[in-house]
Amino acid sequence: MSPLANLPMIRLLVAKDWDLFQRQLAAYVGAGILALALIGSAKPWTFYLGSLLLLVVLVAAACFAISTSLLTERKERTLGFVMSLPVTPLDFYLAKIAGNLVTFGVPFVVLVGGTAGVILSTPVPDGLLVWSLLVFGHVLLAHAVSLSVAMAVESEGWNTFAMIASMVLVNPFIMMLGQIPAIAGPMRGEAIVWSAEAIAILSTQVLLSAAVIGFTGWVHCRKRAFY
Amino acid sequence: MTAAFTLSGVCKRYPAFALEDVDLALPEGEIMGLVGVNGAGKSTLLRLLGGLALPDRGTIEVLGHPMPAQQVQAKREIGLASEDMRLYGSQTLRWHMDLVRAAYPRWDEAYAGELLRRFDLRAAQPLKAFSHGQRVKALLLLNLARRPRLLLLDEPTTGLDPVARAEVLEALSEVLRDAARSVLFSSHDTHDIERLADRITFLHGGRVIDARDTAAFLDDWRRIVCHGALPASVGQWDGVASVRANGSLSELRVRGAEAVVGLLRAAGADVRSVDPMNLEEIFVATVRGGGKH
Repeated sequence: MSPLANLPMIRLLVAKDWDLFQRQLAAYVGAGILALALIGSAKPWTFYLGSLLLLVVLVAAACFAISTSLLTERKERTLGFVMSLPVTPLDFYLAKIAGNLVTFGVPFVVLVGGTAGVILSTPVPDGLLVWSLLVFGHVLLAHAVSLSVAMAVESEGWNTFAMIASMVLVNPFIMMLGQIPAIAGPMRGEAIVWSAEAIAILSTQVLLSAAVIGFTGWVHCRKRAFY
Repeated sequence: MTAAFTLSGVCKRYPAFALEDVDLALPEGEIMGLVGVNGAGKSTLLRLLGGLALPDRGTIEVLGHPMPAQQVQAKREIGLASEDMRLYGSQTLRWHMDLVRAAYPRWDEAYAGELLRRFDLRAAQPLKAFSHGQRVKALLLLNLARRPRLLLLDEPTTGLDPVARAEVLEALSEVLRDAARSVLFSSHDTHDIERLADRITFLHGGRVIDARDTAAFLDDWRRIVCHGALPASVGQWDGVASVRANGSLSELRVRGAEAVVGLLRAAGADVRSVDPMNLEEIFVATVRGGGKH
């Protein structure tokens, strides 16, 4: 049976995850908006505090979406109940990907849009936009990797490691961006410069995220037990 | 007639356990009880039928649907409740009922309401506030109200207090009265199985060691008490599962008592009584006898 034929069940599973986690995700969006307000006030201390808070909120939202929708489901043994419903492993996989697009994607898109809005409409230099989007790109890739590990590997230890390691790598990533003149140079100016380096990094992040998710689907559909 | 399920040459291996070469079928409308010790393979068998696990070898068909190819169609007509299956603690029973209702077109809201009253459950209460017995009953409600053609139940009464157990068994008996419904259930409690099942399957060490209808099981096995010395080879006689001596009295547990009684009398033993055995005794005798017929 093709997943398209079972679309109502996939939609039902996505709605279930949204129902389960919407309150907490609303709290993350609220905290993100507070962070953006701090960044937008454009004083040095509020800018740094806001940036830090925004990064914490993004990482927390990514980890929360994965741990609640996948790891907790397995740990609290609700996975058997879900898989006993009229779904195939592929339906379940698609529902989890779509569910994460909603549960993580909604706060992510709100915060990306909010950040762009704050940068472009306040005294914060517009040149910061490219750098910010690359940092968001890293969080997206880290989320895709953590989501894939959570779907493919049952070990809680490996899942925790994957989440922490991929998210903590944002620090060296930010430092690396600072070492690339074509990205670090225009950060303090008003011009938005999409250098070849910036485009290459962002494209790699997006393509790699899609590839990791696709590979996980292939692995998941070859599993022999779902409970 | 469609079989409720058919397993042919099914194997499923885990690092510490294997279900081996299972051939088993249940005609539609019948009730099969699975009897086995912990780790015998009962839960694995039920998970394979419910589509929660895939076999390493062999074929499975559920209500005419090959698994896993047509698992969605099959799962639409299956109810599966297992002892280790949990519901979402943060959500209410009503939330779960709405979720299951959306997934099963045959959901019977009136019957769900009736089960709520009978099981004394509050739909507005979050599952984390439920006791173990209430959680079991909630899971059963979610399965029964979808009106499944095949009900798979793994230890449905384990850990329940006597009142909850009676309520669950009563609800089950009602389902079982519907001739179109098939049920496969496992239980440690052989009394439940003896009371409800049309057919019984003994599982041991991942293998089916015996499978027949309940009446045949109970008719076939007898406990024979006799007086006097018995031949040393009595334990090897065909049909003798166990021999226990207590002074001059000996107790034999046998399958096909008539022939054994004849042999005992021919050997000079004084047969004092031949009594029926209950299912638990039959199971123990079968396991100890290595499943020999």
